[in-house]
Amino acid sequence: MAEKNESYRPVPAKILSVMKENERVKTFRLSFVSREDNASFSFTPGQFAMFGVAGVGEAPISICSPSFEHKYIEVSIRKAGNVTGAMFGMKKGDTVWVRGPYGRGFPLDECKGRDIVLVAGGIGFPPLASVIDHLARHRKEYGRIWVLYGARDFEDLVFRKRSKRWTGIENLKMLVTVESPCTSWNGCTGMVTDLFSGLDVDGKRTVAMSCGPPVMMKFVTLGLQKMGIQDNDIYLSLERMMQCGIGKCGHCSIGDRHVCTDGPVFRYGEIKNMLERVW
Amino acid sequence: MTGGSFYVIKKSGLQKLLDSLSRRMTVFVPVKGPDDYNFREMKPGNSLNIDGYENTEFPPRMIFMPDRETILEYEKNSAKAPAEARTAVFGIRPCDVHALNILDKVMLGHDYREEHYGKKRERSVVMALACRKAGENCFCGSMGTDAVKEGFDLLFTEQGDGYHVAAGSEKGERIVAENKRLFRKTDDEAKKIRIRCKKNMNIENLPEIMKDMRDSKIWQDVAGRCLSCASCTFSCPTCYCFSLTHESDIANPDRARVLREMDYCMLVRFSRVAGGFVFRKERNERVKQFFYHKLLYGYNNEGALHCVGCGRCISECMAKIDITEEVRKVREEHGRKK
Repeated sequence: MAEKNESYRPVPAKILSVMKENERVKTFRLSFVSREDNASFSFTPGQFAMFGVAGVGEAPISICSPSFEHKYIEVSIRKAGNVTGAMFGMKKGDTVWVRGPYGRGFPLDECKGRDIVLVAGGIGFPPLASVIDHLARHRKEYGRIWVLYGARDFEDLVFRKRSKRWTGIENLKMLVTVESPCTSWNGCTGMVTDLFSGLDVDGKRTVAMSCGPPVMMKFVTLGLQKMGIQDNDIYLSLERMMQCGIGKCGHCSIGDRHVCTDGPVFRYGEIKNMLERVW
Repeated sequence: MTGGSFYVIKKSGLQKLLDSLSRRMTVFVPVKGPDDYNFREMKPGNSLNIDGYENTEFPPRMIFMPDRETILEYEKNSAKAPAEARTAVFGIRPCDVHALNILDKVMLGHDYREEHYGKKRERSVVMALACRKAGENCFCGSMGTDAVKEGFDLLFTEQGDGYHVAAGSEKGERIVAENKRLFRKTDDEAKKIRIRCKKNMNIENLPEIMKDMRDSKIWQDVAGRCLSCASCTFSCPTCYCFSLTHESDIANPDRARVLREMDYCMLVRFSRVAGGFVFRKERNERVKQFFYHKLLYGYNNEGALHCVGCGRCISECMAKIDITEEVRKVREEHGRKK
């Protein structure tokens, strides 16, 4: 029978700070009201939690702070619907309701000793940022690391400040590209998959992790396969409208799988065998 | 359950039993409306009238997962679940007991146990009622759901001027013990009533066949007739999908509540994500979701088909889509392909 009892009961957290990433994205740093909740909350990068505003609703959002940080958690939110819209207007000291974490994150322990390619698109970058922090902290346990990040335009880029702490890390290469260039951008232009050609990847040694819009991940997967990376070494974080988070409500089902409990991170080997169209 | 005790009760005794239970808990019984029977609350003094009762229009699932139910109440720094009332349901047909067993596996099994459903089930008494004859669209005979061995507290079978009663649980035995002057113990099993269904569904290898037939044109054809009204999912005794809806209290802004509302995969909005993208935009994908959840996904996850042959989706469908007919076509096409 079931291992965990779930009543959807969230716990309150206070906003410690709000960081504006760009016009549409803000990062919220939260701390649970109860000391016990702060101590007991732990997650794996790639897992999500339900973030709620009382009387408005809840939204499933990946946690983007470092998983070894226990004083606070962070979420980056793009203003897209009711809940994210309401959170957008919140400020330091306001209450956000949190339950979770839920789902299966990125397999960081299994990937020890491997080279790693991370591919992020748009608002898919935050969960991978948590992965980068983990890899950076345990740098010696992993091989070469590439971080590829694509956004629509310069304005759309997030974590411009946070990215700075990853520069200078040995054998970690970060490449950023934007689709539409502008005068304040002097980096690469194009799709994130355009960055693949410059990589010197040994497919057999490499594990890939990706998070981004469905169309992007479809093409990213094709590119990764071309580099010789095995289907079971490609990890993709899928998006669906998780409501319960515990595999009951049905909103995130793909065939007989539930993104909330079986994922959100799946191996491509699992995705290609799903009983229903994934993207 | 084997090894449970058997009893007999008179029709008047059943009336007294329900009357006595209704003073202690909420009792639901089949009540005839303008068209069909549905489960309604029986108040003390009401009399049971089930002459001509085949099955309810809507499934007993609606008692355990109501259409709209408050599951959490937010206060300033906490969120609490409302207390759960005790209920007893009389008249659940065997196919629907099978459906409840499936819902239990879904809601209480796997990684998480859904506490609200769990509490409701714990605090409820299931008094099943064997069928005397099949309804127009029943096909339980071919699904193996016309008889039931577990999932009830008491099983009533009409016999003479009363009922044979089998106790299926401790809870059932307790009710008998508490009302012992209404029951008489017997060693005899209930006399088997053979019911004949006009419809049938061949379920041999069905999940495997469904898996092979995912790209069949049949689904396009069904989608061409389907009106996306969600009546099938609304009336299905094993459909459980829901949404969590949040409401604020205008009079008291510190208070808000979370409701669990039944939701239906036949509706476009069901698979919509933030930003507006819809994963099952085409009607044929939503039609397939219904058929495949019943006949393949449910089997993969809970080890039982999620169709119990109650025939409600056939009765309710405005486009007269008949799951037994569609499965027949699927099997035929599959046979031809081989």
